[in-house]
Amino acid sequence: MAEFPDKPITFVTPYPPGGSHSLHAGVITTVAEPYFGQPMISVIRKGGGGVVGAAGVMKAPADGYTLLFGDPTINSLRPQVEDLPYGTDDFKAVARINYSPAVFVARADAPFKDLKSMIAYAKSNPGKLVHSNDNKNGFTYTVFEMLKFKTGTDMKGIIYGGGGPAIAKILGGETVAYAGAPSVVGEHIKSGKLVGICTTDFEPWPSLPDVPTCKSLGTDIIFHFWRGVVVPKATPEPVVAKLSAGFEKLVQDKGFLRLIGKINSRVDFLGHKKFDALLKKEQADLKALYDSLK
Amino acid sequence: MDVLDNLAQGFELISTWQSLTAALAGLAAGIVIGALPGLTATMAVAVLAPFTFFMESVIGIPFLLGIYKGAIYGGSIPAITINTPGTAAAAATALDGSALARQGRGRLALETSLVASVIADLIATFVLIFVAAPLAAVAIKFGSPDFTMLYLFALTMIAGVSGNSFAKGAMSVGLGMLMACVGLDPVSGYQRLTFGSIDLLGGIALVPLLIGMFALSEILIQAEKHGRRKLAEIDGADQGRGLDLRTFRRLVPTILRSTGIGTFLGALPGLGAEISCWISYGVASKRSKEPEKFGKGSVEGVAAAEAGNNAVCPAALIPMMVFGIPGDTITAVLLGAFMAQGLLPGPLLFQQHGPILYGFFAILLVTNVMLLVFGLGAIRYLRHITRIPPGLLYPSVTVLCFAGAFAVNNATFDWIVMVAGGVAGYLMRKTNVPIPPLVIAMLLAPGLENNIRQSLTLSDGSYAVFVESPLAAAILILTLTVTVFFTWRSFHLTPTPQPPNPSEEARDNEKDLDTQATRHGHRRCRHGRRRRSDGRVPG
Repeated sequence: MAEFPDKPITFVTPYPPGGSHSLHAGVITTVAEPYFGQPMISVIRKGGGGVVGAAGVMKAPADGYTLLFGDPTINSLRPQVEDLPYGTDDFKAVARINYSPAVFVARADAPFKDLKSMIAYAKSNPGKLVHSNDNKNGFTYTVFEMLKFKTGTDMKGIIYGGGGPAIAKILGGETVAYAGAPSVVGEHIKSGKLVGICTTDFEPWPSLPDVPTCKSLGTDIIFHFWRGVVVPKATPEPVVAKLSAGFEKLVQDKGFLRLIGKINSRVDFLGHKKFDALLKKEQADLKALYDSLK
Repeated sequence: MDVLDNLAQGFELISTWQSLTAALAGLAAGIVIGALPGLTATMAVAVLAPFTFFMESVIGIPFLLGIYKGAIYGGSIPAITINTPGTAAAAATALDGSALARQGRGRLALETSLVASVIADLIATFVLIFVAAPLAAVAIKFGSPDFTMLYLFALTMIAGVSGNSFAKGAMSVGLGMLMACVGLDPVSGYQRLTFGSIDLLGGIALVPLLIGMFALSEILIQAEKHGRRKLAEIDGADQGRGLDLRTFRRLVPTILRSTGIGTFLGALPGLGAEISCWISYGVASKRSKEPEKFGKGSVEGVAAAEAGNNAVCPAALIPMMVFGIPGDTITAVLLGAFMAQGLLPGPLLFQQHGPILYGFFAILLVTNVMLLVFGLGAIRYLRHITRIPPGLLYPSVTVLCFAGAFAVNNATFDWIVMVAGGVAGYLMRKTNVPIPPLVIAMLLAPGLENNIRQSLTLSDGSYAVFVESPLAAAILILTLTVTVFFTWRSFHLTPTPQPPNPSEEARDNEKDLDTQATRHGHRRCRHGRRRRSDGRVPG
C-alpha cells in the first residue's frame, strides 16, 4: 500500500460560505499542499447548523481522506442534547487550529454597565433582561446558560439563528445583552455602541485588553469556541498522527500566518493528543452543565 | 462637499488598469455565471472570493463587486430567453420576459431588463454613497414583529401577482412553506418531516429545487412540443426591434418606483433581491395602465422586476458596511472578503478606511457604465439563443441543470431533489399553479418562522406584539387590504387567456389614465384615491 496520503484530501466545512469557518478553511486549504504532499480540497457542506456536514463526514470512509472542520457546537454540545445521527464519540481529534472566547456585551444605554450590576439587575427583574442568542445550544447560547446557572439568575434569550441578526437586534434595541466572538463584537465595543462586560477566557483577549475576564470578576465561566480538525473515529492512529504533524507545520507557514492575520484570527495549535484530552474534558463539562439544568 | 471630495479621491484610487481590469473581468464572469441556471450569484462570489485574499484590496474587491453585479443582471438573460431564471432573483423577470421572447420581442425584453438594471443600480449606488449611514440607522430599528409582517406581506403579494388565480397562488405559497419546514427545527433541534433521512436534516436545498422546477420542467414541456415548432415562433424583422425612446419614457415611473422599493428593502438586513423583485413587480402591476398584460408579456413587468432586484445590490451593502450585517446571502460572502482584506465592516469602517471605501463606490459607478456598454453589445448575440433549435438547446441546458444542482452542495441527493422538482414543476405548469410562489415561499418561510418565534418569545406568547408596533400594524393593514383586493379580483375577473374586453377593469384603467395625465405634482393624492377605489368598487 502506498504511503498516506496518495490522493487529494477533502476538507469539509459544515457552515455556509462567508462565516469564520469558511474563511479559515479557505486559508488552510490554500497553503496545505506542501505539508501533506497532496492538495487539500475545501468542500462546503452546509445545512442543519453544521449537522449535515458532520453527519456526512461521520459516514465517510475512515481513511484520513475526509476531514471535518469542527467546533464545540457540532462536536461537543448538540450531540449530547439533541437527537442527532451521530454522537460525540463518533469522531477522533486531529488538531486544534485556534479558538476564540465569548465576550459578554451590553447596550451602552442598558441599565447595567458591568457584570456585578448586570447580575443585580437580572436578580431584581427576573425574566426581564432580554439577550440575543445565535442558535439553540450554540456557542453564545451556552455561555448565557452558564452565566444563568452560575449566578442563579433568570434572563430571556431570543434565538436569531446567527451572529449577524443577533448583533443587529442588540444594536437596534430589541435586546440589551449578547455574547459573541471578539471579531464580531470588538468593533462595536470600540465605537462605544456596546459595552464589554467580561470575557470567557483565562486572560483578557489581546484586541480587547480593557474587558476583564469573567473569572476575575468572580463568576467562573471559561468557554472556548475552538476551530479544529476531526476525522471519523475508526481512522487508524498513524494516519491521525501524520495529519496532526502536517497541520502543526502548516500553522507555522509564513503565508498562512499572514493570511490568518488578515482575517483577524490567530493560531492556538494543539496536536491530536492534547486536543483529544481537551475535547473529552469539554464534553464531560458540558454534560454536567446540561444535566444540572434538567 | 465632503462626499464629493471623497468620491473624487476614490476615483483616483481605482483609476489604475489593474482595478478596472479586475472589475471588468468580474463583471464578465458574473454575467456568464448568473446566466447559467443553477450557478447563483452567491456561489460565484463564494467560489471566487478566496482568490482575492491574495490580491490587493483595490483589485480583489472590485473583482468581487463586478461579479456580484454581473451575476444579478446575468440571471435575467436565461429568464427571458429560455424561461429559466438564472438566479432566484430573476424569477419575476421570467414571467413577462419569456412571454415577450415568445412573441418575438426578445431584444426588447433584454434591452429593457438591461436599462432598468443599470438605472436602478445607478440610483441605488448614489443612495449608498450619500445616505448610507442615516438609512441604515432607520433600517436597524426594525424589530422582529415588523419583519414578521413584512414577510407576510411579501408572501401575500407573491401569491396574488404571479398567476391568474389567487387561490392557486396561495396554494403554491402553502406548499412552499410546508417544504421549508423539512429539516431540523431551528429552535428545538427536532427533526421535522425528515423520515429518518440524513440528507433531509438540512432541509430541501432551494437551488436544486429551483433548477428542477423552472428549468427541468420547461424542458419537459418543450419535449412534448418537440418538432412541432421553433422556440420563438416569429423570426425576422420584429425580433430586431429594441427599446426605443418612447417606450423608455413610459417605463421611467415604473423603474423609479421599483428602484425605491429595491433600495429600501435592500437596506433592511435579511431581505434580498429575491423578495424585492416580487414586491416591485406586484406594485407595478397594480399601478400599471395595462395590468392585464402582466404575465403575458408586459415590458413594464420586466422593467419593474429588474429594477427591483438590481437596486438591492448597492443597498444591501449599506447594512453590511455600516453595521457589519449582511443584507442578503451575497453580501454575507462579501463580508468575509472584506474581512480578509483587513477591512472590518462595522461602525468604524468609514473612519478607518474612508478612501478605499469611496474607491469601491467609484468602482460601483464605473461597473455600471461597463455593464451598459457590455450588455448592449452582448444582447445582439444573446437574443439569438431563442432561435437555437430546441433539439440543441435543451439537451445542453439539461446537462447544466445536473451540473448546477450538484455544484451547490456537492451532494448527489440534490439530483433527486432537482428531478422531483422538475416533475412537480411540470405538473404545476399543466394545472396552471404558478411555480414562483412555491420557490419564494420556501426561501422566505424560515425567516418568517424565526421572526414569529422571536416576536412571541419577546412578548411571552402574546399575539398583541404584532399590532403594538405601529410599523407592524401598518404593514398588517396593507396585507389585509391587498388580500381583500386579490380575493375580490379572483371572484370578479374570471381568468381570461384571450385579450381582455372592455370590462369593469378596463374602464377602471381608463379612469386611471385620465388621472395620470393630470397627475403632475399630485402623486400622493392620486395614490390615496386609487387605494380607496380599490377597496370600494362593488363590482
